[in-house]
Amino acid sequence: MSLIVEQKDRSGVINPMYNCQPCGAQFVCIGVKDCIPLVHGGQGCCTFVRLLFAQHFKENFDIASSSLHEDAAVFGGVKRIEEGVEVLVRRHPSLRVIPIITTCSTETIGDDIEGTIGNIERNFLQKEYPEREVTIVPIHTPSYSGSHVKGYDTAMHALVSTLARKGQPNGKLNIITGWLNPGDVKEIKHILQEMGVKSIILMDTESFDAPIMPDRSGFAHGSTTVEDIADTANSLATIALCRYEGGTAAKFLEKKFGVPAVIGPTPIGIKNTDTFLRNISQLTGKEIPDSLVVERGRAIDAMVDLAHMFFADKQVAIYGDPDLVIGLAQFCLECELKPVLLLFGDDDKSYVKDPRLTELEREANFDIEVVWNADLWELERRIKDGSVDIDLIMGHSKGRYIAIDYDIPMVRVGFPTFDRAGLWRHPVVGYNGAIWLAETIANTLFEDMERKHDREWILNVW
Amino acid sequence: MPFVLFRCDEVIPEREKHCYVKSPGEDIVTYLPAANIATIPGTLTERGCAYCGAKLVIGGAIKDCIQMIHGPVGCAYNTWHTKRYLSDNNDFQLKHVCSTDMKESHIVFGGMDRLKKSIKEAFAAYPEIKRMIVYITCATALIGDDIDAIAREVEEELGDVDIFCVKCPGFAGVSQSKGHHEFNMEWMRDKVGECEPEIWSPYTVNIIGEYNIQGDGFIMENYMKRMGIQVIGHFTGNGSYDLLRGMHRAKLNVVICARSAGYIANELKRRYGIPRLDIDPWGFDYIAEGLRKIGTFFGIEDRAEKLIAEETAKWRPKLDWYKERLAGKKICIWTGGPRLWHWVKAFEDELGMRVVAMSCKFGHPDDFEKAISRGREGTIYIDDGNELEFFEVIEKVKPDIIYTGPRVGDLVKKLHIPYLDGHGEHNGPYMGFEGFVHMARDMYNAIYSKLWQLAKEDIRRKDNGR
Repeated sequence: MSLIVEQKDRSGVINPMYNCQPCGAQFVCIGVKDCIPLVHGGQGCCTFVRLLFAQHFKENFDIASSSLHEDAAVFGGVKRIEEGVEVLVRRHPSLRVIPIITTCSTETIGDDIEGTIGNIERNFLQKEYPEREVTIVPIHTPSYSGSHVKGYDTAMHALVSTLARKGQPNGKLNIITGWLNPGDVKEIKHILQEMGVKSIILMDTESFDAPIMPDRSGFAHGSTTVEDIADTANSLATIALCRYEGGTAAKFLEKKFGVPAVIGPTPIGIKNTDTFLRNISQLTGKEIPDSLVVERGRAIDAMVDLAHMFFADKQVAIYGDPDLVIGLAQFCLECELKPVLLLFGDDDKSYVKDPRLTELEREANFDIEVVWNADLWELERRIKDGSVDIDLIMGHSKGRYIAIDYDIPMVRVGFPTFDRAGLWRHPVVGYNGAIWLAETIANTLFEDMERKHDREWILNVW
Repeated sequence: MPFVLFRCDEVIPEREKHCYVKSPGEDIVTYLPAANIATIPGTLTERGCAYCGAKLVIGGAIKDCIQMIHGPVGCAYNTWHTKRYLSDNNDFQLKHVCSTDMKESHIVFGGMDRLKKSIKEAFAAYPEIKRMIVYITCATALIGDDIDAIAREVEEELGDVDIFCVKCPGFAGVSQSKGHHEFNMEWMRDKVGECEPEIWSPYTVNIIGEYNIQGDGFIMENYMKRMGIQVIGHFTGNGSYDLLRGMHRAKLNVVICARSAGYIANELKRRYGIPRLDIDPWGFDYIAEGLRKIGTFFGIEDRAEKLIAEETAKWRPKLDWYKERLAGKKICIWTGGPRLWHWVKAFEDELGMRVVAMSCKFGHPDDFEKAISRGREGTIYIDDGNELEFFEVIEKVKPDIIYTGPRVGDLVKKLHIPYLDGHGEHNGPYMGFEGFVHMARDMYNAIYSKLWQLAKEDIRRKDNGR
């Protein structure tokens, strides 16, 4: 059947689906240990992103601002970077990385970030703190280019290209996760452990799930160290799980250090996870263990229980980060759901040329509509005017009112999911992610059936 | 010395003048923390930007207009779904936000065409909405886009729409406070006087600086209604764009948040001679006093007394139950600005609590004048407090509970200290008689939660680490 690709035919955005670049950069940086990024722009550019992270994770992450004001608009803002770095270094003795994340204002002003970093290193760090190694990383993320997706990709590339150092081969596999949740990272680490593969995870966000400890020591932080990032140059290979979030860094390592790069697929659903395991196996020479075959079998079993009875022919709209949307659409096809509407939220044309979409078109026995440069109004309008009939929405919490007002069951997935408790703890990747997805979709549909008295008696016996 | 230099601030001694401990015999004439001055970069400030002060705090609460943010998409995205201001308009203002989604080419060649198209598209998408607020942001201010010119063009072309322009980029001023000020003054200059509201009562007020967080404003509107008073402009919670254009017809301005909206009250006084009456709506004593003053102004004291008697009879026993359990508990108030002085005496006098530390993000010297005058000796008063300072404050004052924002709350929970949302309110509404009972209930629930005892226990040790 056909795959219809179109773009929003409006200039502006009504109810945005994507955030701007600096947000993506900030997300990458909080995954690094002993790192406080300095967002070079107005205070809101970091304060509200910190709030967004807190909404999603119910945790605090430290992100500093250069607190740009009017004078900087006239005279430039580099003094604010210098002051900001000095304050951070002086007040945080364990700090080792300070990424400077630019924004629309400071890119428009044209502040010389690289030159300023050089000055800080010479005039401040080497003079006052010769014993400390603090790396300042320039990250150019003008908010008017791309979206948080590109911001993530740019920041990952900036950190890797600044910190990676050629050394002895380490026998490890680099995994660049893309914008996934801590639950996903945990699942990836589980798979690697089952495979017996040593790895470097960029970024290891599992520790975002911070405990309240008796000694009051538990705080949310990233766990990927400077050494980890440096050592990525010496790994067996890199697998970037998300093409658009981390793919550039993987290619950089291949080009600069000869570390082979495998881009994707995002291991959502059975087949994608199979490919992921085979890629790991091929790159490391390790066999796929029985334990993962058992997990795979459990996932298929869970999906079989639900697919023909509850999922078949249900029409699904999916929006969010491109790799997540594509991965979820592939997952839907595996369990008889119909992903009839896919929405990407920025103007990156490469999403719609993604070979995975061609594959979807080939496999689907129905029409799929793909909207790029979309906003949430593209979804709402179609539902409102009846041009699509949607049984299930999958996406992040910014679209919650569409589900609420049009009374359509919705599975929150991705980022942010602030209107549901603890979703970030659960994976959507791997076989366990497939189980979570299938059962969450099912339970969401079940609750909707009960509330609407729509054949809820089926659930007595199935 | 009354000013304190925290250990974490030894490397930035200029922070000392922002941190004050009140000693016996001192008054605000002698000592006042520095406030409303630029943040030191890199200090992990809690402050937002001026744009957010205009959009997120004030304009975004107006219920019947489109919010159009002229800039890259993040400015719209990040000030959406971060407030709990309700309306009787199916919460239109919570559900929708528009952006011109500026891209690089527009930064180079100007974004005015894109703004014009975006405005017309948004009006087409919401045919029932005829009002709009357009906000400039950092990028579009720097390239010099003339949003007023575009707004006037669209008004002329469409005929039945009205557009208000806010020209307050994020880099303006030192905090969100600048955005409050800009919105106030621009609304006064451009919009007040444009509409003539239908008047149904001889007693008319504007409620100013009240944002209907969790329905706080509904409580105030209900009190006014029961006293036979007509609310014309509700600036801005549950506020109607056109009624706010008719604010000049009120006989009294009842000001709640003096920080974010005192400006417009002063301007209404200056231009239209409408008196300004500041009230504190949190706490039984304060709300009763406020209602009495309003009643006295209109010569309807009896109606105020009747309302106060009814509400007190209904809620006092509940409050007393909590008071007994909250007395002596130590509390910190780390919020935006005015809530420090609105709340401190209510907590101390009416609940017997001790407010041991206060910090505000964007308060001005006059906010500290009030907070310090109303607060106790030995209490720590901080302007633009930051995370490392908060850790030291906690160590020093050992609070039982902290009213602050969700993110700082997520931090202090790791230190076994319960937090309550001082901005969005935990389980509000918090205003009025019932609201103060809700506050007391939230504090009681948080302080007496069994989880904090469990959190302290170390199961590896026989004595559980106590």
